[in-house]
Amino acid sequence: MARRDNDIWWRIAWRNLWRNRRRTIITASALSFGFVAAVLMMALMDGMLEEVVSNGTRVITGQVQIHADDYRPDQSLHATMGGREGLDVAGLLAAAESVEGVTGAAPRLYGGGLVSSGEETVGAVLVGMDPGREEGVSRFGSAMREGRMPGPGEIAIGATMAETTGIGPGEEVVLVASAADGSTGNELYTVSGIFQLGLGGFDNSYALLDLGSLQDLMAMDRARIHEVAIAVEHTDAADEVAEGVAAAVAGVSEGLLVEPWSVFHEQLYFMISMAGAMNAMIAMLIFGMAIFGVANTMLLATFERRREFAVARAVGTSARDIGRIVVYEGLLLGLVALAAGAVLAVPVVVYFHEFPVDLSGFVGTYSVVGSAVRPVLSAEYSWDGPLVAAVALVFTGILSALFPMWRAVRVPPADALAGR
Amino acid sequence: MQGNSESNGASGAAADYAVRTEELWKIYPQDPRPVEAVRGVDLTVASGEFVAMAGPSGSGKTTVLNLLGGLTRPTRGRVWIEGREITALGDRELAAVRMNRIGFVFQSYNLLPVLTALENAEFTLLLQGVAASERHERVRGLFKEIGLEGVEDRFPPKLSGGQQQRVAVARAVLGNPALVLADEPTANLDSVTAEALLDVMEKLNRTKGTTFVFSTHDPRVMERAGRLIRLVDGRIEGAAVESG
Ligand SMILES: Nc1ncnc2c1ncn2[C@@H]1O[C@H](COP(=O)(O)OP(=O)(O)OP(=O)(O)O)[C@@H](O)[C@H]1O
Ligand SMILES: [Mg+2]
Repeated sequence: MARRDNDIWWRIAWRNLWRNRRRTIITASALSFGFVAAVLMMALMDGMLEEVVSNGTRVITGQVQIHADDYRPDQSLHATMGGREGLDVAGLLAAAESVEGVTGAAPRLYGGGLVSSGEETVGAVLVGMDPGREEGVSRFGSAMREGRMPGPGEIAIGATMAETTGIGPGEEVVLVASAADGSTGNELYTVSGIFQLGLGGFDNSYALLDLGSLQDLMAMDRARIHEVAIAVEHTDAADEVAEGVAAAVAGVSEGLLVEPWSVFHEQLYFMISMAGAMNAMIAMLIFGMAIFGVANTMLLATFERRREFAVARAVGTSARDIGRIVVYEGLLLGLVALAAGAVLAVPVVVYFHEFPVDLSGFVGTYSVVGSAVRPVLSAEYSWDGPLVAAVALVFTGILSALFPMWRAVRVPPADALAGR
Repeated sequence: MQGNSESNGASGAAADYAVRTEELWKIYPQDPRPVEAVRGVDLTVASGEFVAMAGPSGSGKTTVLNLLGGLTRPTRGRVWIEGREITALGDRELAAVRMNRIGFVFQSYNLLPVLTALENAEFTLLLQGVAASERHERVRGLFKEIGLEGVEDRFPPKLSGGQQQRVAVARAVLGNPALVLADEPTANLDSVTAEALLDVMEKLNRTKGTTFVFSTHDPRVMERAGRLIRLVDGRIEGAAVESG
C-alpha cells in the first residue's frame, strides 16, 4: 500500500476537539489550572527547600567543614586539628581559601562552660571565633540584635540566654570552663552584644568569644582550633569544592577530614535530594485526579460519536486509526491546556517570587531537620518543576484517552447501518 | 466493466459476479428466543448490476447488506466478493476488503461531520493511499458530474440532505469498488431529491459500470432497479428465480 496522508487523523482529532467548544474549554481550563497549581506548588516547595538549605548551611555551619579526623563523633575538647601540637592556622585558612569556589573560611574552637551573672548561672556552648572571618561564613555578625561581635575579653550571648539570665550589653559575666590541661579556667568578660539567630538551640545556649580569649581560657595555644567552616559560591557544588579543599590542606597537616554539607547535614541533603520525587508526587496527585475527570469527558465525547466511528470503520478505517484519532485528541487537549497553562503560570510564579507571602503572622518560625525556616512562601525559579508538570499534563491527556480509545476501537462497523 | 475486474490485488481471481452468497443465515441471540433475521439466502449479483432489495420492515434487508459488505459475520453460510471468500477473512483483511472493494451508502449520518464534503468524498481514496493531487482531481471531476460543484469546502451540516447523500455516493464509488451497498439511501429524502439521487446512482452504474445493491421501501425506487429482490422473513421470495 502506498504511503498515506496520516495527518488526516490529526486533522480529525483537532476538529473533533473544537466541536464541543465549551466542553473542551472547560476541560482544558481545568487541566491548565492543574498545571499552574502544580508549577506553583513546586516553585514554593523549591523556595522552601532553598530556605532550608541556606539556613541550614549559611547560618552557622558553612557548606564545607574541616576537622581533625577524630573530632567526630565525640567532639572531644582534645580533638583539635593537628593533635595537641595544633597546626599553622593561618596557613590552613590560606590553603582552604586558595581553592576555587571558596568564598570564606573561619576558624573555630569549641568548649563547654558556665555563664554566671551573679544571681543566675547557665550552661553554655562556647564558640571561639574570628569576627572578621565569620562575616563571610556565618550569620553571627548580622544576627547581633544589640551591641556588636566580641573583641578580646568580651563575650556575646544569645537572646534567650540574655532573657533568662537578665544579662545585658556592657555588663560583666564570669565564665567557668574546663581547660585542656585538666584545670578549670575562670575569667571575667564584658558582654559586647546579644545575638538572635532565630534558632532556639543557639539563642539559648551559645556564647561567642574572640578566638584568642577562648584559647587562653581553655589553656590552649594559638595553633589549636577544632574547626574551619568554609563558605562556597554554589551550594550544590560543595562536594567538588570539598575535594579541592582536602587536597589543598593535606600539606598543612595530617589527619584532617574535609566534609561537604551533604555529609555533615545528611538529613538536610536527603531532604533536598527528595525534592524531585516530591515534585513528581505533587504532579501525580494533581493530575492523577484530573485523569478521571478528563477520561470521563472524553468517554462521553466518544460515546456520542459512536456512529461516526462505525461509519469510518465500515468504509475501511482500521481499528488502529480509530484509536489514533482518540489518543491524538487527548494529546492535543493536553497540549492546548499546556499552552494556556504556561501563559498563566509565568505571571503567577513571578508574582510569588517578587512578592513572597509572609505567614509569620499565623505561624512562627519552625525548624526542618535542624534548620530554621521562616514561614514565608516564596517561589523559586526552576525549570524542573514546570518540566515535570508539563510532562504530567501531556501524559494526563494521553492516559485519559486510553479508556475512551479502548471503547472506540470496539465500536462494531455494523453499527453504521443499525441505528437511525 | 471498467473498475470492477481490475485492481483486486488480493485474489486476482477472475469472477463475473460482484458478490455471491451461499446458504446465508444470521441468527441474533436474544431473549426470549433468538431472532432469525436472515434464513438461507442464496444470491448472486453480477458485475454491473443495479439491484434493489425490497421487503417489509424487519424482513432482513439491512442484515443482508451487512453480510454482503462484511460488516457482520453470518451465523452460517458464505460470502464471496469477486471470487474471494470474505467470510474466511480476519478482521484486518476484512477492513481492507471494505476499503478497496466495497462502497457503502447509509440511510443518514453518512458523513464525518468534522470533514468537508471534499474530505469526506476522498476519504476512501486517502485510505487507499492515493496521492492528494489525484484524489482532489478525481473528487472534483465526480462532483462536477453529480451536481456537487462548489460545495467542496462545506461541512456536512451546511449541506442539504440530498447533497449529503450524493457526497456519500461519491465516497462509495470513488475507490472503484466491486460493489456499492446502499441501505435505504433515499429514505430521508423528499421524492424529487430521491429521484435525483437515483439518477446519480444510475448514471454511475451506466457510465462507470459500478455495481449497486440498495434496499428500499419506496415503490418508485424499486421501479428504477434493473432487478428487484423481495425479502420476506429473512428469505428471498420466490428464491428459485435467480437471474444472472
Ligand atoms: N443487532 C441485532 N440484534 C438483534 N436483533 C436484530 C439486530 N439487528 C436486526 N435484528 C432483528 O433482525 C430482523 C431483521 O432486521 P433488519 O434490520 O435486517 O430488517 P430490515 O428489513 O432492514 O427492516 P427495516 O425495513 O425496518 O430497516 C428484525 O427482526 C430485527 O429486529
Ligand atoms: Mg433496515
